[in-house]
Amino acid sequence: MTNRGGPTRPNGQSAGSKMCQFKLVLLGESAVGKSSLVLRFVKGQFHEFQESTIGAAFLTQTVCLDDTTVKFEIWDTAGQERYHSLAPMYYRGAQAAIVVYDITNQDSFTRAKNWVKELQRQANPNIVIALAGNKTDLASQRVVEYEEAQAYAEDNGLLFMETSAKTAMNVNDVFLAIAKKLPKNEQLNAPNRSDRLTVDQPNTGSKPTCCN
Amino acid sequence: MAAKPVRKGIHVDHSELLCKKGCGYYGNPAWHGYCSKCWREEYSKARHRQIKEDRELAERLQKEEEAAYASSSSSSTTTTSRPIAFSKFEEKKTQEKARKVNTVKKFFTTSKTPSKRSMLLCCPNNFTMVRQHSVESSQAAGEFQEFLKLLRKPAAQDILKRCRACIEGIAVFILLPMFSFQPFNNFAFAGSLPEQVEKTMDNVEKYIMTRLYKHVFCPESTEDEKKDLAIQKRIRALHWVTPQMLGVPINESSPQVIDMVEKAITDIIEMDSKRVPQDKLACITRCSKHIFNALRVSQNEPASADDFLPTLIHVVIRANPPRLQSNLQYITRFCHPNRLMTGEAGYYFTNLCCAVAFIEKLDAQSLSLTEEEFDRYMSGNASPRRPTQEPSSLVDELSACPVLAPLHTNLLDLQELEKQQCQLESNAADLDRALVAWDGSVAQEVANVARKLPPKVQASISSFPLLLAEVAASPSGPLDSEVEDSITLPPPLLPQPAGS
Repeated sequence: MTNRGGPTRPNGQSAGSKMCQFKLVLLGESAVGKSSLVLRFVKGQFHEFQESTIGAAFLTQTVCLDDTTVKFEIWDTAGQERYHSLAPMYYRGAQAAIVVYDITNQDSFTRAKNWVKELQRQANPNIVIALAGNKTDLASQRVVEYEEAQAYAEDNGLLFMETSAKTAMNVNDVFLAIAKKLPKNEQLNAPNRSDRLTVDQPNTGSKPTCCN
Repeated sequence: MAAKPVRKGIHVDHSELLCKKGCGYYGNPAWHGYCSKCWREEYSKARHRQIKEDRELAERLQKEEEAAYASSSSSSTTTTSRPIAFSKFEEKKTQEKARKVNTVKKFFTTSKTPSKRSMLLCCPNNFTMVRQHSVESSQAAGEFQEFLKLLRKPAAQDILKRCRACIEGIAVFILLPMFSFQPFNNFAFAGSLPEQVEKTMDNVEKYIMTRLYKHVFCPESTEDEKKDLAIQKRIRALHWVTPQMLGVPINESSPQVIDMVEKAITDIIEMDSKRVPQDKLACITRCSKHIFNALRVSQNEPASADDFLPTLIHVVIRANPPRLQSNLQYITRFCHPNRLMTGEAGYYFTNLCCAVAFIEKLDAQSLSLTEEEFDRYMSGNASPRRPTQEPSSLVDELSACPVLAPLHTNLLDLQELEKQQCQLESNAADLDRALVAWDGSVAQEVANVARKLPPKVQASISSFPLLLAEVAASPSGPLDSEVEDSITLPPPLLPQPAGS
């Protein structure tokens, strides 16, 4: 499912000196547009159905940042309430998370806040969390105010953007912002990562200090 | 004191000095009063008796043990019908397990760094087990050696040596926390490409895990087997869960979707037959791909995790894969953790773990049912596919169960056939009646015509039916008369031996 060179890929792939790979989980209630957001980022498409796309549950995308190539491995999670308790299995070992809510749905924002709280308590302590208010194209039906979400994100040290998978607004920007914030001085892809061959240990490794 | 007056002073009767057996020679207290020759005889007799008794005792014990084993193994085959025996068997097995584990622990604590030789001597069983290669083992060994040929020679030799040492050194009952590839980076692989290292590790994994599979899959020191049984029972009890309850968005009436779901089920069941963790992961990935295909046919947009996870749960419930927990544990323990935490296969594996966790914890709330409904379905008193109240129409019931549809059409066809058969029978009866009537009318007509004729002709006509009857009754036809002629023929020639 790896896609290289989508039409709206943020940056051209250069022969970067460094290659980093990050696991990113998508959290958020069902129908807030998690998979649409990823499909827009990875394939540059929205609702146009391409034969090559088997599923939007697991996708990868590479972005270039200065001299570093950042490869995102995007894990979608089931958003239904009944599967909530399974989420830790997904975000185990993740370096980044995007918590998505729908600006026209107050409940989805409340659940997004719950996700954030849970991530901060249980996930990898250095995880980079971004809050994304999706569906800005439906601004006329807005329920969650921009300022409210912005203030919440600031209080909790989250990246925050309002996005629209339909118009592609801020979609690439969210991922780029995360890529910038992620620590890149450890070559996560390097073979010496296999040193840590222990069972049942989160894949956090010896985390370097955050470059932000 | 009473004996003293009888024997005055030191007096030993002559007879007391002689051998007890009365052979005439003197005896000796060291030989219990026998002479040396008689003592030797007596002693060897007693020793033989002792040996015989010991042997009998041993035989008796062995028989008892065998009987106990037979009863325990027979109880294991009839687990469902004899729960009490089974629990005893389990108990016994756990005891046995504990003993084995203790032995292994003891064995490891006494000698911190056992040499290969000492280990093999201590555990002759292990040695023979490792030595008896299965077909898969030999095949894996062959493949691995082929692969190593492609590598630089010192590196290849080093890897092979390490792997062999690893396989022979690993005790059967412990897990493999020492399973580390770190040394490879230090010398043999300095300067190699990461892809090459990865590939090497894959092959090493394949080789080692194929050889060790029997001993490390569902090992006796763990509770894996119990968990397997528990999840199997659980899934069996949940057979009534419908795709609608899980929120599975697939269209189950489409034959294409049914086909994909069947393929997914086959793949997840096949996982148990693979030995290498990577191969097991490949089965999970194939299963997931089939699910995505089924989802793509059912809905017109790429499937997200919101659709995928419920469908995977549905597939797991329908498949009830054998030794599910053992397989998951095995992959978790022995697969490269990087592979499980990242990558596509890792994603699908995580989803499978989630599905199993969901099935284990599943309750009324997670299926949007009331507690009473859930309890009724679990106890088997009701089924969501066959509601207790009368179905509003036959069509409703048919749509509830796809198997009933062809049955129903068959029944309708049969009814149609029966109707046609009845029609045919009544037509035949009509024809019969018509024939009888026609017969009568012809006879009537003939009688009428005959009455008008002169009496002489009448007589000949009246004899005509009689003639007809005679012809019909006479058993001898023209063929029979020919047979009569053949009696006058000479007897057939008898075969004669040639040359006489």
